[in-house]
Amino acid sequence: MHNRFLLFATKRLLFTIPQLFAVSVIVFFLIRLLPGDPSYMLAGPYASPDRIVEVRGQLGLDQPLVTQYFNYLARIFAGDFGTSWRTSQPVLADIQLRLPATLELVVLAVLLSIGIGIPLGVAVAVSEGGVLKRIVFLYGMLAGSLPDFWIGLLMILIFFYFLGWAPPPVGQLDFAVSTPDHVTGAYALDALLTGNWETLRSALAQLVLPVATLVLVYMPLVLKTARSTMEEMLESHFILQARASGLSRRMQLRYALRNALPPIITVIGIEFWFLLGGAVLVETIFAWGGLGQYAVESVINSDYAPLQAVVLVTAFFTTLVFLVVDLLYHLLDPRIRV
Amino acid sequence: MFLRFLDSDLWRFARLRPGMQFGFVVVIINLLLAVLGPAIAPYPVEAPAGASLLPPSRSHWFGTDVSGIDILSRMIAAPRIDLTIALVSTTIAFVAGVGLGVISGYFAQGEKPGRIVSAGIMRIADIVQAFPMFVFALALVGLSGPSTTNVIIALAFLNIPFFLRITRGTVLQVRSRTFVEAAICAGNSELRAAFAHVMPNALAPALVHFSTTIGFSILLTAGLSFVGAGVPPPTPELGLMIQVGAQNMITGHWWTALFPGLMLAVSVLAFSLFGDHLRVFLDPTNRR
Repeated sequence: MHNRFLLFATKRLLFTIPQLFAVSVIVFFLIRLLPGDPSYMLAGPYASPDRIVEVRGQLGLDQPLVTQYFNYLARIFAGDFGTSWRTSQPVLADIQLRLPATLELVVLAVLLSIGIGIPLGVAVAVSEGGVLKRIVFLYGMLAGSLPDFWIGLLMILIFFYFLGWAPPPVGQLDFAVSTPDHVTGAYALDALLTGNWETLRSALAQLVLPVATLVLVYMPLVLKTARSTMEEMLESHFILQARASGLSRRMQLRYALRNALPPIITVIGIEFWFLLGGAVLVETIFAWGGLGQYAVESVINSDYAPLQAVVLVTAFFTTLVFLVVDLLYHLLDPRIRV
Repeated sequence: MFLRFLDSDLWRFARLRPGMQFGFVVVIINLLLAVLGPAIAPYPVEAPAGASLLPPSRSHWFGTDVSGIDILSRMIAAPRIDLTIALVSTTIAFVAGVGLGVISGYFAQGEKPGRIVSAGIMRIADIVQAFPMFVFALALVGLSGPSTTNVIIALAFLNIPFFLRITRGTVLQVRSRTFVEAAICAGNSELRAAFAHVMPNALAPALVHFSTTIGFSILLTAGLSFVGAGVPPPTPELGLMIQVGAQNMITGHWWTALFPGLMLAVSVLAFSLFGDHLRVFLDPTNRR
């Protein structure tokens, strides 16, 4: 069995490599969407003809397309994503600074969605009906139709402005609080690791609203899937068999849940995929200073190198997530092949 | 005609399902506003009609925004932009996605050249979907320049893989039925068999997805406009309205972003509910 998993994992991993190359080709061509010659755009409106030729040379635009692509690839492998003219920093440094903030938000939201969504979905599937079932059903229908940025605003209005329970939406930490020593880059985690309690308190308080927004908006997908697959399993023949054989209710549920897991795992993967993009809007609302907000600021300021890099990095993470999903899926259901 | 509608299966089905009625009504209202909206708005939609940040009152039901523009009027006019973008982009995605889906599904198990085309289409779809949707949309519109046309192109492009996969799945099932074999025996070419015989029998799931995608596209359009990478201001558009209202909302002028957001949520929900119920209606094995 172990051998089969290793075989599957190797095949799946090898499949990821051409995928990543294809992703890099698309990102490389993205910059070509700029209307006209990018060197005019990048040199600015008042550039002299000499300057434009110079920029074109710098960008390598005077070389054949294939050479340009391989140069681009070589730079990426060397960790050179260009320089952001807005922050006048290497894009790589900017991203290293911001990625942990985004991952912290997204990972927490996904973990909470799983932690609440699956038990709730199972409980509803098992229950005979009643108010809870009805509420969960209605809530599940909201999957995918709530505007996360609007829900975020409502959260701020209610919990910050009216009730005064939440801190102002000023980012990952209150203004008065010092940043923790750098370990991972995620403030709450770093504060915890370094034992910086004051910073930890502020970081956690700042996390509550954005995470609650993401969970509220994106949990219905997990909840709905957990409920419907669990209901399906409980009505299936193998559970009927288990019941007929006199197995306890607990054992029946364990069997059912075990078989309901694969579709739930898939949905969690989709949720990750969605949040890596979807968190952009919530980050903007809460001035989170993560990768998403970086992308938005780059778009608004026509800062193209960072935008290109963010697209590449998020696609890389998506590919990784789907890889993990497929591996888990195989562990749960070894019938799946590449 | 109205009486005949009351006697139809669809109506009998919808009568017991408040969700579908709700979806149906809101979709109709949205369509009507898209046609009539700008004409029936009580105040100008891009010019001030009163003082700045007036709370909801008799004359301005949903108040005014920071520049004194009547919020209700802008909301009445908004579906024309939002729905046009959603309808046009979804239609393009539908046509392209179904076309590619039929080709890739029909030739998936055939001879060599067809099989390669089929596999190639799927790999490209995989790669497009390797990008998180919102970030990709943001980059596409951001690089090609924020405009209504570019939003439409980006959304259409991003939605093609969904229609492609749905159609491909159904085509794979329909493909093996005997009437397809009969069509080929009767002298139809493969392509004709695929598009004239298989496609009509494989359209239903994609049609249902059409409604859901419209809702989703409205949401994406609003999101893009919200961060400044969608339709340019001062177009009456829900995402832009929420963006303008966002700063005021945090300082307690709640009406500025509350109502446009509510309309956005209700509209998106309606389209997806309508689609969900339509799927159940069209799939007799699923009816309960």
